[in-house]
Amino acid sequence: MRRITVGGAVLRGAVSTALTISLMSASALAAPPVDLSKWSPEYVRSIAGTQDFDTAGDCAKVTPLDYKGRLTFWYQGVFEGDPDLLRQYYKDFFATFRKTYPNIQLEEQALTYNDLLDKFRTALLGNAAPMAVRLQILGGTEFASKGYLQPLKPEDVGYSTEDFWPGAMKAVTWDGVTYGIPTNNETMAFIWNADIFKRAGLDPNKPPATWDDVVKYSKQIHDKLGIAGYGLVARKNAGNTPYRFMPQLWAYGGGVFDEAKANPTYKEIELNSPQSKAALQASYDMYVRDKSVPVSALTNQQADNQPLFLAGQLGMMISHPSDYNVMLDLQKKATGADKDKAQTVIDNMRYGLIPTGPDGKRAVVFGGSNIHILKPEYVEGGKVDEPAAKAIICMWTSPEWSLKMAYAGSNPGNLNGFKTKWMKERLDSIKFLDVTTSMLPYGIPFPALPQSPEIMNIIIPDMLQNALTGAMTVDQAAEDAAKKVKDLMGGGL
Amino acid sequence: MTIVSGKAEARRTLQSARSDVLRKMWEHRADYAYVLPAIAVMLIVIAYPIYYTIELSFFNTPPGLQLRDKIFVGFNNYGAILTSGVFWQVTFNTLIWTVASTFFSFALGFAAALALHRDFIGRGVLRAILIIPWVISAVAASYIWKWIYHSDFGIIGAVLVELGWASRPPNFIDSVSTVLPSLIVVNIWREFPFAMIMMTAGLQTVPEQLLRAAKVDGANAWQRFWHVTFPHLRNVSTVTILLLAVANFNSFIIPWIMTGGGPSNASHIWITHIYELAFGRQRWGVASAYSVLLFIILMTLGYFYVRALSGNERKDGGA
Repeated sequence: MRRITVGGAVLRGAVSTALTISLMSASALAAPPVDLSKWSPEYVRSIAGTQDFDTAGDCAKVTPLDYKGRLTFWYQGVFEGDPDLLRQYYKDFFATFRKTYPNIQLEEQALTYNDLLDKFRTALLGNAAPMAVRLQILGGTEFASKGYLQPLKPEDVGYSTEDFWPGAMKAVTWDGVTYGIPTNNETMAFIWNADIFKRAGLDPNKPPATWDDVVKYSKQIHDKLGIAGYGLVARKNAGNTPYRFMPQLWAYGGGVFDEAKANPTYKEIELNSPQSKAALQASYDMYVRDKSVPVSALTNQQADNQPLFLAGQLGMMISHPSDYNVMLDLQKKATGADKDKAQTVIDNMRYGLIPTGPDGKRAVVFGGSNIHILKPEYVEGGKVDEPAAKAIICMWTSPEWSLKMAYAGSNPGNLNGFKTKWMKERLDSIKFLDVTTSMLPYGIPFPALPQSPEIMNIIIPDMLQNALTGAMTVDQAAEDAAKKVKDLMGGGL
Repeated sequence: MTIVSGKAEARRTLQSARSDVLRKMWEHRADYAYVLPAIAVMLIVIAYPIYYTIELSFFNTPPGLQLRDKIFVGFNNYGAILTSGVFWQVTFNTLIWTVASTFFSFALGFAAALALHRDFIGRGVLRAILIIPWVISAVAASYIWKWIYHSDFGIIGAVLVELGWASRPPNFIDSVSTVLPSLIVVNIWREFPFAMIMMTAGLQTVPEQLLRAAKVDGANAWQRFWHVTFPHLRNVSTVTILLLAVANFNSFIIPWIMTGGGPSNASHIWITHIYELAFGRQRWGVASAYSVLLFIILMTLGYFYVRALSGNERKDGGA
C-alpha cells in the first residue's frame, strides 16, 4: 500500500502559515516544548520517544499520592464509533488512577458526546453537577461565561500554559481568565477507498484536491457504481455534523463569523456570504442534484458511515485515523464472504489532506476536549474536593495519559505527549496518523463564544437540512441561519 | 316581613349546608388522613414544578446567562411563540400525530379485540404475540424501527429492491413528506395493543343473553354489533380514546430517537420541540411558555377524561 507523502503539502500554502500563526498565540511563542513552526510529520517523528516522564511523580507534587478524598467526575467517553483499543486505554486510565491514588474515592460517569451537554446543563440547574468534568471543546466557553467553572490553568496542576496548543487554550479562556485545561486536540483527515476510485475511473492514489472535486468525484462514483460517493453528515444535535461541514464552509471562504481569520472578532455574521452559500450549494449538489451521498445523511452520524464504508458502499469520508482501527474491529466481527470483502476495503483505505476551497484554502475543525473544575455551589453536596480534582486532571493532562487517551483518534493536549515513547509506538502502529497530525496547522477552533454549541449543533445542521430537504432554497437556508445567529447573539428569545 | 323571613331562611339553609359539609368531612377524617401523604407528595413534585414553569414562562434566559439571572419579559415568550412559523408547523405536526395515532391505534386495537373475542385454538398465544409491541421498551423499538426504515440499508428497502419492486430503497425518515407518516406507523404499531386490551375487557362486559336474544329475534351480525355490542362499549371506547390522545400528545421517545424532530422540523411535535428548546438551546423561558400552553390543552383533555369516567360510574351505579 502506498504511503501518502503529505509533509510537502503541509509546508505549502499561505493558509497553512496563517493558521499556524493563529494557533500560536504570543504566549505560545515564549517557550513551547515543541517547535510548532517546524510542524511536519517528519518533525513529529524526530521528537517522538525522546523524553521520559514520571506521571505519578509529577502529580504527587500537585496532590500527594496518599491524599484521602472523594471525587465525582463526568467525562465524554468512548462511544459506538470508537475503536476497542481506545476503550482499553480508558479502562487502563481509571485503573491506574485508582492504583496511584488509592485513598481517593472516585465516582466517574461516562457520557457520549451528544448526551453530555444536555445532561450537564440539567445537573447544573439543580446544583447537582460533578466536581470535575471533561467536556467537548465547544462547551468550555458556555459554562465559563455563565460562571459555573472555577479558574483553572495548566500551572495549577504542575504544567505550563505553553505545554498546550495555543488554539486549544483559547477555547478554555473567557474574558481573559483560563477555566480549564485541554486534554486532547484533533484534526480529522480525508479518507477514500482506492478500489472504488479505480472502478469509478478515478486515480486510486489521488484524493480530490478541492471541494469542487469532491462533488465531481462523488457523482462519478455514484453514476458508475451506484453507491454513495461522499459520506455527508447533516444530523441535528450531533457533533459529527459541524466537524464535517465547517471545513467545507471555511475552505470556500465562508464562516459563521470571521473565526477562520488569524484574529477573529466574531462581530460580523458571514453565514449568508456568497462564499458560505457556495459551500452549502456544494452539499446541495451532492445530496439533491446528484443524489451521490447517503440518503440517510439527515438522520445519520459518522458511526453510520463506518459500516457503509466497510461494506464498500461509500467512496469518501472525513474522519479520524481511528477509523482505520474501527474498520479492523468491525472486520473481525464479520463472517464468511463479508470478512474478505471488509479486508479488501481495509487494504484499499487511503488517508489524505482535507481538500481545499476554490482559492486554495484548506481548513479543518481544531477539535478536542477540555477538563474543568466546578464551583462548589453547583456541585451535589455543595463541596468540591479540589486536591482530588487536581489529581485526576494532572494525570489526564500529563504527557503520558493525554497521549494514551487519544491514542488512536486524536492528539495529546499536552504537547510533551509528542515526545513520549508511546507517541513513537503509535506512529508505528496507527496507520495514517501522520496525515491527521499534518492537518493540525490547518485547524480552526470553533468560535470561543457561549452561543457556539447552539450555532454548531442546531443552527448549522438546521441550515443544511432546510436546504437538503428542499424546505428552503440554498439562499433562503443561508439567510435563515444568519438571521438565527443574529437573533441569538442579540439575546433574542 | 316576607323579605326578612326569606333572608333568614336562606341563612339557615346555608348554615345547615355548611354544618352538613363539616359533619361529612369529620365523618371521613380517616379517609383524608390516608390521602394526605399522597397530596403532600403531589404538591412537591407536581404543584411546585407547575408553578415554577408558569413563572419561568415570563422570563428570557439567554445562553450566556445562568437561569438565576433570567430577565423578566412579561408575555413576550407567548407572543414569540404564537408569531413563530415553527410553532404552527409543530402544532400542525402534533395534531396530525395525535389524531392519526389515536384513531388508527384505536381502530386497529378494536378490530383485534373483536377478532380475538371468539374462542378458537391459539387465541391466547395470538393475544400474547400482539401485546409484544406494547410491552417492549419504546427506546429499543425506536432503534429497531430506525434500522428497518434506514434510507440506505434498511430492511424494507432491501426487500423491495431485492424483489425488484423498487430501484432504490424508499426514503422513509429522511424526507419531509414521509417522515411523519412513517413515525405514526411506528407509534400505531406500539399503541394498538393497549387499545386491544381495553376493548377486550369492554367486550367481556357485553351480556351474552342480550346477544342471544337479538340473534333469536333475527338480528344479523352487523345489527348485533351495532345495536347491542357497541352501545355497551361506548364508555370504555371514550376512555381508551382519551387515554391514547393524552399519551400521543405527550409522545417523546419515538420521534426523538428516530429523527430528533428532523429533517427540517418535519417530525417535531410539541414535546420534542420543548425538549430541544430547553435542553438543546437553553430557552427555558420559551420552553416553559410552550409547556404552559400544552398543560392547558392536556388539562382540557383530562377534564373530559374525568367526565367520561364519572359518567361511567354514574351509569354503573344506576345499573
